[in-house]
Amino acid sequence: MDSSESQQIVSRRSFLKRSAAMAVALTSTAGRVASGAEGGQSAAGTKTGPSRKTKVIDCHAHLRHRSRATWEADDRKLIEAADKLEIDQLCCSILTPRRPATADGFRECNQWVADGMRRFAGRVLGYCYVNPGYAREALEESRRCVEERGFIGVKLYNEYTCTEPVVFPIVELAIELRVPILHHAGHSHYVMEDQPRISDSGHIAELARRYPEAMLICAHVSGGGDWEWTIKALRNAPSVFLDTSGSATDEGVVEMAARVLGVDRLVFGCDTSMTASVGRIRAAELSAGDREKILGGNMEKLLRRRKS
Amino acid sequence: MIIDVNAYLGHFAFRQLRHNTAASLLALMDAKKIDKAVVSSAAAITYRNAQAGNEEVAAEVKRHSDRLIPFAVINPFYAGWRDDLKICHEEFGMRGLRLYPKWHNYSLSDRCCLDLVNAAAERGMVVSIPLRVEDKRERSWLVDVPDLLLEEIAGLIKACPKARFILLNGIGYVNSPLGRKDSDLPSNYAIEISRLSALLENEIGQLMANLGADRLLLGSGMPFSYPDPALLKLDVLEASASDKEKIRWQNAAKWLRL
Repeated sequence: MDSSESQQIVSRRSFLKRSAAMAVALTSTAGRVASGAEGGQSAAGTKTGPSRKTKVIDCHAHLRHRSRATWEADDRKLIEAADKLEIDQLCCSILTPRRPATADGFRECNQWVADGMRRFAGRVLGYCYVNPGYAREALEESRRCVEERGFIGVKLYNEYTCTEPVVFPIVELAIELRVPILHHAGHSHYVMEDQPRISDSGHIAELARRYPEAMLICAHVSGGGDWEWTIKALRNAPSVFLDTSGSATDEGVVEMAARVLGVDRLVFGCDTSMTASVGRIRAAELSAGDREKILGGNMEKLLRRRKS
Repeated sequence: MIIDVNAYLGHFAFRQLRHNTAASLLALMDAKKIDKAVVSSAAAITYRNAQAGNEEVAAEVKRHSDRLIPFAVINPFYAGWRDDLKICHEEFGMRGLRLYPKWHNYSLSDRCCLDLVNAAAERGMVVSIPLRVEDKRERSWLVDVPDLLLEEIAGLIKACPKARFILLNGIGYVNSPLGRKDSDLPSNYAIEISRLSALLENEIGQLMANLGADRLLLGSGMPFSYPDPALLKLDVLEASASDKEKIRWQNAAKWLRL
């Protein structure tokens, strides 16, 4: 997509217009609109719901790796999906198709994210993805992306369990730059042979005890296996945030997370499971104020901590 | 009007469910403006004698037959299944079945299963088949129950052309004969949308193009799942108002002969 197209996307949908409809899409208890409403107009067609004060921020999104022929159309579809669901901003990374990522591989991904931030200005925020195993390159890339390219944080995947010392310099840099780290995570009751070094929320809690000033986000509670385990393991790690994204639509996950961790520690995300992720927040038994915190208020606060 | 073809009552062995009594499920349905729901026993998935779960559901829905439509969980490898089927249909008024071959340790191609499906067809009962109960990444350390394969279901559909099937909790149909326009399968099955995408890949849209809107049904998986994701799919789906109405309830009313 060229820049003029992206400008059209942004300009034809003013933030204020999106905002007015947003609260309804995500707070409606009816969960639907009058019959006959077409896609994209559903939120505006509903007549109940409080007005929204904060942006809706998807804390866990991905642009498409360009090895896929349809990457450009896929990126466009992601933004269109966000439009329909009235999501204001998406915090995106691109991962290498094969991992562990090489230094060239993650640098290329980050270059494409930077390009996505230009193509979808104001909509796409960037996470810098690195493999901590490339110690010098990962640190240089993280600093460059945050300080020179305006990335909002660091994305770590499963190359290393987050309690391995090789990860610590990245955490220390993120602390220095005052940016969050979104950490891939999952806990299943079987050996994940394809992800031998995956972190779980217990590992992230342990990392947080070592670095209580770090802004750690534990990824996709609804796509990381036993979510009850994940939530309970974070109870005593008050500095860790939990991303609500994922494809599993299990009833009760948001309520349990809110009860055990408190709503101030929850951040809304989709991880490309769009209707599942928006639907679970819409469904959860929360006050309007708490819902706003999860949908964007908490993430906005996190992003404001950044070193200027 | 909204009809949810994928709902449950009772306890599940590995996770606490809320909204799992008739009263609490109806309250949830009221909140979400869902008029009717097809329900079966969550407990019968792991009971050895599934009929005990059917009895529990029958007792729960007795005073709510205007809104809760009970289906029976029958294990065709368990003693007395023909008696259970007769009781569920004739005494409990159950309009269909839910089959759990992976949980109950049989194959959809086994003779007993074919006998059960054909017996249900003779009674005019719909046979619904959940491809999974919960996300496999969440499974307990006690069990390792794989998802049903779409190929296995395609084989059953072909083998029982007189039966009518509703496929639940599935995904990836467009890459299988079940979701292709040019397949040689009979059109005796419908697909429920709870796990299908309405955005990005938009599998629902692809299935509408391949099979027609008449073959898709709204289902949520409640109370295992929040109902809102499925309802939201219909909100954002690029489809005509009439096609959305078909998916929202009209197709279900036809399949269930309401």
